[in-house]
Amino acid sequence: MTTPSTPPSLSRRTFLRGAGAVALTGGLAAAAGCAPGSTAANKPLAAPSVTAPPSGEITIWDRSGDLFKVFDKAIASFTAKYPKVKVNHLAVDVNAKLPATLISGADVPDGAFYDDALLTGVAPHLQDLTDLVAPYKADIAPYKVGVVTVDGKVVAVPWDLDPGLLFYREDVLTQAGVDPAGLTTYDTLLDAARTVRGKFPAARPIHLENDQFLGQLWLDMFANQQGGALVDAGGKLTVDSDPYRKALTWLDKVRAGGLGTLAKYTQPTDIQTQDAGTQVLVPWAQWFVFAPQQLLQTSKGKWRAVPLPAWQAGGARSGVMGGSSFVIPAKAKNPGLAWRLYEHLVFGKDGYTTVYGPNDVYPGGLNTSVPSYLPALAPDSPLFKPVAELGGQDLWQVAVQAAKQVPGGYRIPVWWSKAVDYLGVNLQKMLAGQMSPQDVLTVSATQIQKNLIDTQ
Amino acid sequence: MTMATMTAPAQATEAQVRGTAPVRRRRRRTSPVPYLFVAPFLVVFLGFSAYPIGFALQLSFTNWHGAGVLRFTGLANYRYLLTSSDFWGSMVNSGLLWLLVVPAQVLLALVVAVALSRSRLRGPFSASLIAPFVTPLVAMAQVWIILFDKDFGAVNHALAAVGLPAAGWLTTASGARITVALLVLWRTTGYAVILLMAGLTSIPAQVYEAARLDGAGAWTQFWRITVPLTTRTVSFVVVIGTLTVFQLFAEPFVLTGGGPFNATRTAGLYLYKHVTNSDLGLGAANSMLLVVMVFALSLASIRLLRSREER
Repeated sequence: MTTPSTPPSLSRRTFLRGAGAVALTGGLAAAAGCAPGSTAANKPLAAPSVTAPPSGEITIWDRSGDLFKVFDKAIASFTAKYPKVKVNHLAVDVNAKLPATLISGADVPDGAFYDDALLTGVAPHLQDLTDLVAPYKADIAPYKVGVVTVDGKVVAVPWDLDPGLLFYREDVLTQAGVDPAGLTTYDTLLDAARTVRGKFPAARPIHLENDQFLGQLWLDMFANQQGGALVDAGGKLTVDSDPYRKALTWLDKVRAGGLGTLAKYTQPTDIQTQDAGTQVLVPWAQWFVFAPQQLLQTSKGKWRAVPLPAWQAGGARSGVMGGSSFVIPAKAKNPGLAWRLYEHLVFGKDGYTTVYGPNDVYPGGLNTSVPSYLPALAPDSPLFKPVAELGGQDLWQVAVQAAKQVPGGYRIPVWWSKAVDYLGVNLQKMLAGQMSPQDVLTVSATQIQKNLIDTQ
Repeated sequence: MTMATMTAPAQATEAQVRGTAPVRRRRRRTSPVPYLFVAPFLVVFLGFSAYPIGFALQLSFTNWHGAGVLRFTGLANYRYLLTSSDFWGSMVNSGLLWLLVVPAQVLLALVVAVALSRSRLRGPFSASLIAPFVTPLVAMAQVWIILFDKDFGAVNHALAAVGLPAAGWLTTASGARITVALLVLWRTTGYAVILLMAGLTSIPAQVYEAARLDGAGAWTQFWRITVPLTTRTVSFVVVIGTLTVFQLFAEPFVLTGGGPFNATRTAGLYLYKHVTNSDLGLGAANSMLLVVMVFALSLASIRLLRSREER
């Protein structure tokens, strides 16, 4: 008599234990790529070999829209120079997608276009480019060097500079008898606004930004123009300081005097009032020029630009609002090749000339910013043509003149974008008449210190 | 004997049971086949649901920013959130939106569902209810921005035409909340109507017939038959609405960006900010708190809406 053979015993508990072990192993393996502390060590990225021509494949992310098309053409100039390199150029909502991708470590691009204002938030996930950028550092605008340097390391290839300019409706100012050449200080700008309103009672001449994020960026431009920033070199909060106070006080005067149009940049009220000639003085970054070229209808050709007024006679005539750079993730598969591409686009004459030169999107060249690489800013070698929508004005000359006056020493704190919930919101409250300039500074300083600095 | 005769079969059955049942049980226990069948689900569930939830729970006790060393901070994230005016502000915003959206949605959907269930146009109308769902939100948000613009929007022009003052639909806290709520209602009410129409079809026609014979009018039928017999579906719609509102992200993100003055920064939008700012520990703690609150709210809604018999 034989005992019938039975399958090996497998109790439910044993099975679950086994499955748990499998799942845990799988989970840990899957998580290994994104587990804490797994981001590649930030050793400075070494210069790629120069003995052999570069070859390989890289994936590059750019913001979808006009700039993607611009960079598509510029990348073609790189691959024409290095035919053994294949660039997968993808249009992506970079601001939304990059942080999560860097954290997860999945499908990380080799390089990406990224807003300067958000740079510090992802800095731990980026390659240290200090050694690679070092040979060019002396030729980069000081403002931009400060922006791409986080904890002493250069974490991005500095791309553009977005100097603030004063855009104005030339026809309306002429009719009101205001000489744009006289708009040299913010006090004279206020006087000009009063004069325009005296002539056209419906006018609310000066733009007041109604978006929380852009509002803070805008306020920072005014502060940067005076050499101020949200933090000092030691990382100490400096929002409650004269540059911000002066800017806020001026903005409050505009509001209280009924001299401003409160509107979100390029939203219906903004566009309609600019076209209608009631909003005619816009202190904004150079990229405002996008509006007359692409959005405005009846006022096309009637806008002009001059450097920003100074906060005091003889002071700097510009500050920066926005800007972008190129980042190379620490987990990039081919960081050396990505660096070669960006080196070509930013520091190579062929590269930056193609980026800023005429293309399908901007037939006269990319005129929404200027390079931060100073050798590219030669006044007599314009990268883009005079702008028809600015009545044929040579915007290059104005922008270069302004860009060279941008004060350096500016730093973007890690929590800059989070501060929008406090400073950005409080600025909007002031523009709605609910807070005084000093309240904005005091309350914002307390909130930022408590919620963003003390919790770090 | 009688006893023995009588009990014998029972004893036999017991013996039979004793003899066979353990064998069957042993077989069931020893065969790996059923486990192999559930293994794919189990692996997927453990890998893509249980592990992320467990990892999020672990993260909620750390100050991890997505890189660097994971440092345990105990309950610091929870303490920070529970004493943060920002966190409670986002919860209040979501609560206010819930009040603006869910009751209106249920009422509107019920009325439309009842009207459609008795209409010959039920088919074409049902198809149109899906339209808001398939329309890209970003495009609709742009339309909303144009419609509700304070100075140039069609809505304020319409108000002016009947002598009413212009409202700051997107520039004041209360106006922005209403505008976001209207967009959510526009997008989601159709789905609620479809759910309620399905609920209505489960009510036997004889019930209405009997009510009619007893002299009940349309209003009485609605209150005495339709409403009580669709309570379960209404509960479901309320739970889905609660989940939608407390996870609401896209609508305020594209319409107001959370403004003005953070008045439309919902719980979902606040959570998103932690993630985009690489505050993963805080974000994980926030999502855990959100899960608890939404669960409690959903449970409360279901209990409140339970029919008397079910209680």
